[in-house]
Amino acid sequence: MTQRRIVVGALAVLAALLPTACATPDSGGGTQTGAAPANRDILRGVLGGYSVGGVNLGAAAGVATSAAEATRDIPEAEEIQLGRGVAAGLLGAAPLTRNVQQQKYVNNVGRWLAANSGRPDLPWRFGIIDAPTVNAFATPGGHVFVTRGLVERTRSEAELAGVLAHEIAHVVQRHHLNDIRKQAGKNLALELASLKSGGLAGEAGRAVARVGLEGLVRGLSRDEELEADRIGVVIAARAGYEPYGLAAVLQTLAATPQDDSAMALFLKTHPSPQDRLAALESTLPASFDALAKPNPALARFDATFVNATPAAAAPAPAATPSTTPAPKPKPKPVPPKPPAAKPAS
Amino acid sequence: MKLSSALALSGVLLGLCPAVFAEPAVTVRAIDLRQAPASDARAVASLPANTAVDIARREGAWVQLTAGNSTGWAKLFDVRLATSRDGPPKTGSGTSISQTLQLASGARGTTVTTGVRGLDEEMLRNSTPNMAALTALDGHASTRPEAESFARAGQLQPRNVDPLKAADASAFGAKR
Repeated sequence: MTQRRIVVGALAVLAALLPTACATPDSGGGTQTGAAPANRDILRGVLGGYSVGGVNLGAAAGVATSAAEATRDIPEAEEIQLGRGVAAGLLGAAPLTRNVQQQKYVNNVGRWLAANSGRPDLPWRFGIIDAPTVNAFATPGGHVFVTRGLVERTRSEAELAGVLAHEIAHVVQRHHLNDIRKQAGKNLALELASLKSGGLAGEAGRAVARVGLEGLVRGLSRDEELEADRIGVVIAARAGYEPYGLAAVLQTLAATPQDDSAMALFLKTHPSPQDRLAALESTLPASFDALAKPNPALARFDATFVNATPAAAAPAPAATPSTTPAPKPKPKPVPPKPPAAKPAS
Repeated sequence: MKLSSALALSGVLLGLCPAVFAEPAVTVRAIDLRQAPASDARAVASLPANTAVDIARREGAWVQLTAGNSTGWAKLFDVRLATSRDGPPKTGSGTSISQTLQLASGARGTTVTTGVRGLDEEMLRNSTPNMAALTALDGHASTRPEAESFARAGQLQPRNVDPLKAADASAFGAKR
């Protein structure tokens, strides 16, 4: 009864706001009226809870008000700010692990992969977050996280690269950005506008983080995940890694008891590892075998993760690995190919 | 300790895959074991589906299997791993990968983490933005030249690879 009254009340507020919102379809371009900030707060109050009386108001309002917003291209600078907000929220749930050498290593692998992706010049950031859970996350603008629990289950730099490249593919394809845009609808333009003035730590920053985190909890579509698998494998192969790293990780995860609590959120938000393996097996051409030559130089993974001692957990003096015999002189890396295209039909 | 270090080192020197411990697995279909990790290598044995095997080495798309007295190579996709809560066994001596990561864990600075919980839905929904951790994240970022130098040290050469097509649409759902 009470719930019902709240729903009716909320809908009434929405109805009152909609004409205003619809009257300024170009609000994302910075032509807000003076009344907008007040409306924004009311909207946030109404929509922020996501679900009142079982009705997902945020999504409903998003559909109702976002026709223009959904098709607007979000400038890269705004995408990056938005992603930083979500990343800060994620780090609020689990901080980074403290081993600077390992953090640096993950950034080197990730940045190299990204340099061979369709968006090589984003300000890419990579981090190992301190959770025993198995998962990896990407937020818009190039922020990629992998949990300690997942790193523990990898065997090699190629496997770690397979995981990071999958997340990079989500950023390249703007999967999470599009999801946030859909969910936030009209609100997003308002949030992004006040994000510019208020900064990430302000009210708007917390609001975008909440929408983004909700997306990470809900997960992307099955097609988007399988697409990220395909594109990720290609990114890893283009960067010179053997392309079966992701498949090997999925095989490990397929063998992890699916009722293990460490797997719960990962399994809720992704197709099953068996499913993804089957899709990869039927997609990978035999020609990829030739891309998988043994590479002894990658034994540095063990030095960083397996044989690390407490001493090695202290901040590393040098950013790059010091002494690997220089391979024969190399030409400048060839420019990466254009974005790994969406699969042709 | 010394012996295993020497073994690990010789593995690296010989350019072998670093996996030293066998991983138990099961064949998912009837397969031929091959003398070398290549489709045109000579078949040395045949195994029926559901044969218990050990993975001795990994090399890209290939795994070297032992089953009874037979040893040979099969495709990665020809096996599934035996159930394991902790993931693959690790190489090296002394500290495990899990231990090194745990030694390294904890909030940055002086805060000591006690009993880190798994990252679950509730934690994500109720989190407060951690701006200090975001700054730390920025501090670890690699520049493109740094990454290129890292790639050279790892003998990683960029190469042209065509995009992959989606698998059969009827089997894997409609396109986006």
